[in-house]
Amino acid sequence: MDAPVERTDAQVVRDVLAGDRDAYRLLVRRYGDTLYGHALRMTGHPDEAADLVQRALVKGFRKLPSCREPERVGAWLFRILANLCKDHVRSPRRRDVPMGRVAAVLQEQGDPASDAESAEIRSRIWGALDALTPEQREAFVLKHVEGRSYEEIAAVMDLSVASLKMRVHRAREALRGLLEEYA
Amino acid sequence: MNDDLRNRDPRLGDEPDEWSRMVAAFRSAAPRGGAPPWLEQRVMAEIESLPERGLVARVAAWLVRPAPIRVSPLVAAGAAALLAIVLIVPDRVPGSDGADGGGPANASVTPTESVVYVQFMLDAPGASSVSVAGDFSEWEPSFTLEDVDGDGVWTGRIPVRPGVHTYMFLIDGTEWRTDPRADRYRDDGFGNRNAVLAVASGV
Repeated sequence: MDAPVERTDAQVVRDVLAGDRDAYRLLVRRYGDTLYGHALRMTGHPDEAADLVQRALVKGFRKLPSCREPERVGAWLFRILANLCKDHVRSPRRRDVPMGRVAAVLQEQGDPASDAESAEIRSRIWGALDALTPEQREAFVLKHVEGRSYEEIAAVMDLSVASLKMRVHRAREALRGLLEEYA
Repeated sequence: MNDDLRNRDPRLGDEPDEWSRMVAAFRSAAPRGGAPPWLEQRVMAEIESLPERGLVARVAAWLVRPAPIRVSPLVAAGAAALLAIVLIVPDRVPGSDGADGGGPANASVTPTESVVYVQFMLDAPGASSVSVAGDFSEWEPSFTLEDVDGDGVWTGRIPVRPGVHTYMFLIDGTEWRTDPRADRYRDDGFGNRNAVLAVASGV
């Protein structure tokens, strides 16, 4: 009875383009959590993350005819979201919202690992992350927080592995310097 | 073992596991959890509210979708000549005060018998939609640009009749933006500047 769930991404894309809008729901379900997780890690705020994911998914729907590799629509959607996240982090209004707020959000959510020491560390490290450029933050989050491989990130972000490694390296160096300052 | 541990930086402190602790803390501090359950409904509701793409819209989308154009050296030379003509065409709009001549946008042109296809481009990262509105469309934002690669650069080819035109971009249906690449501008009388586009007759 759940035959539609069995559809491949490419089939879903084809169905949506043929006029079956509701089929897009399958893509929302398949990739919603991944997209949301990245947006949350980039922004540090659940409401902002949800808003960005919604914008990315709607934008993806509108631009679906230009998706050249329907079988990789998940990576394509991720790229749209990643660009939106970077723009959002870069926006002047966003700069007024400190990334350190993540620690507070986590405590509100009742993270079991939260104690005084880890809360202090969290505040420190996410505050440092907030000082990186959007590109550096994205590279660091994808590599060290989300634990993705260089090859995977490079494919998604349309960068060479060498360029990506350099970006990650610079992010790490910047973080080290910032954390030293805070120490 | 991940490379964070191998590349531990002693500058971080006396404690040998400082860097690995930091990376582990990053991971444990990273917000987790799936998308909120209402997100799917919100996304689908917005998608359902979008207008159906009719035949005209699909044809228009096809027309404005950027596509590579192969030209022979001879045609390229002709196009260069045409572009030169466009660049030096004077503004002869009746009633113009002469202070805001009709320069071209940063655009490539493809002439047909009655219209010239002008390539428009705007950097608008984060935008959900970008349209072009001008006197050639009765100021209706009926021509949409596309960001094919998701890199924030929106492009599209739009049919424009020869002459001097003014236009603006409309972002997300709400924000009007002047083309920063236009060579010339003209006040619209309402506190904004329209970009000016001069299009020579096709060859």
